[in-house]
Amino acid sequence: MTLLFQPSPPDHVPPERMVDFDMFHIPEGVSDPAEIWHDLVRRGVPDIFYTPHNGGHWVFLRYEDIVEAYRDHSVFSTYQTPVPPIEPFPVVQPQGVDPPAHNVFRRLLAPMFTPTAVRGMMGELERRAAVLIDGFAERGACDFITDFAERYPTGTFLYLFGLPEERLDAFLALANTFFRSTDPAARAQNIGEIYAVLDQLFREKKRNPGNDIATQIVMARDENGAQHPWEDILNCGFLLFVAGLDTVTNTMAYIWRYLATTPAAQKHFRDRLDDPDGFLRGIEELMRINAVSNLFRRVTHDCEYRGVQFRRNDRVVLPNTVANRDPRVFKAPQVIDLDREVNVHLTFGVGPHRCIGSVLAKREVMVSLQQWLRRIPEFKLADEQPAGSVFGGSVMGFTALRLQWEVAAKRAAA
Amino acid sequence: MRVIANHALCQGHARCEDLCPEVFATDAVEGKVVIVQEEVPAALEDKVRLAVRNCPEGALRVAKSGPAEGAA
Ligand code: HEM
Ligand code: SF4
Repeated sequence: MTLLFQPSPPDHVPPERMVDFDMFHIPEGVSDPAEIWHDLVRRGVPDIFYTPHNGGHWVFLRYEDIVEAYRDHSVFSTYQTPVPPIEPFPVVQPQGVDPPAHNVFRRLLAPMFTPTAVRGMMGELERRAAVLIDGFAERGACDFITDFAERYPTGTFLYLFGLPEERLDAFLALANTFFRSTDPAARAQNIGEIYAVLDQLFREKKRNPGNDIATQIVMARDENGAQHPWEDILNCGFLLFVAGLDTVTNTMAYIWRYLATTPAAQKHFRDRLDDPDGFLRGIEELMRINAVSNLFRRVTHDCEYRGVQFRRNDRVVLPNTVANRDPRVFKAPQVIDLDREVNVHLTFGVGPHRCIGSVLAKREVMVSLQQWLRRIPEFKLADEQPAGSVFGGSVMGFTALRLQWEVAAKRAAA
Repeated sequence: MRVIANHALCQGHARCEDLCPEVFATDAVEGKVVIVQEEVPAALEDKVRLAVRNCPEGALRVAKSGPAEGAA
């Protein structure tokens, strides 16, 4: 098979821009995977550099350049971008398509996740968080990842797609293989399984429409009044499945990990349980500091940007976590200021592909923390944490996070 | 004070609506900003300025009151 999007060898890269950096490898002893990125900045590597790892790719480190790559799709495309390169790669809708074609599914999805739309989901989001937390509050301990942070966004997906709760464990298993498996055969089979589930789901919704997002996608009509191509419908379902799970899980993991080690921050939010604006301002800052996604782009043609030569099909990686601490943009960027007033972070990207689920994601985090603080007293990290529980890559995070807290003396009747 | 949105730049982050729902909303067709009241009441001026500074796309700006200004 002829490969169309393979990067060329890096003989156009000047030696001073070569850096030995593997974004998927977290060295032993590093407890926060984002630190491998911040370490680059501390070491003073060039703010546009190239690494031969993972098929070879560029990395941008300045906020301004990262924004430029997000915005200028004529040079930095989202079509066929994986790092390391895999071909062919599913053309997820709308993320894997450049404007203007991208606008078809963007326009279809965006209205379903506006603040008004998300307000209609709030009751259910609150109820789901409360049920999960009530399940372990009395235990005085939990593994935050498996007991909450994975289950919550996966349950939200079931709810939004009009799927019954019994499917939760099956969906969790599918998602876990998708996000964590490194075995190519297991991954290929897993992607096939996810598509089979989506195919069945959309067929069912077409026969038997419900009041849910899956129904809206399958019933939507293009400008000629026809159903969208089936393949695009599946690719859109696939994106919604992968975009809103691991990202939310690990954002929450980062946030709870920070809170567990910072009692003053727990108090800050506890004091604002009746002040939604103040609460959200704090969440926004935790979003800035805990940007879990590193995005990929593919260069569309040989060109020069800021005096650096790029070749067609060169990959570019955009670490939001670095952009969000750029001192040229943020006042005291290393300080976590839960009352920060101006906060133009890139955690949800920027430009035409900016995250459609950002309002939902923030409400998921906010509601979860509110329900948590109403049920659980001051909490901390458990003394024992499993070894090797961090990972890097396009989403960074944790596979385990043990928390503990004191449980009020058992009621007398017990 | 008036507030003006550039729809070509807006990508619907809804940061503006979160910060000042009295003035900003998000439409149900494209998920982009709608200015509910272009002429900003004095009591909301600070909130609107903050929303403008928090728009990640630079899609909002303020101008002096009056119909002619900002029409371009
Ligand atoms: C904290 C959680 C989340 C983070 C950090 C996050 C981050 C991002 C980022 C950085 C992008 C831009 C991708 C690019 O430029 O290539 C994006 C796109 C997207 N996200 Fe999220 N996301 C989160 C949650 C969600 C949720 C809950 C949903 C579910 C609705 C979602 C749906 C999408 C979609 C559909 C896109 C593609 C938009 C397009 O291509 O036009 N995300 N997300
Ligand atoms: S914050 Fe800016 S980009 Fe986002 S909806 Fe408001 S005007 Fe549009």
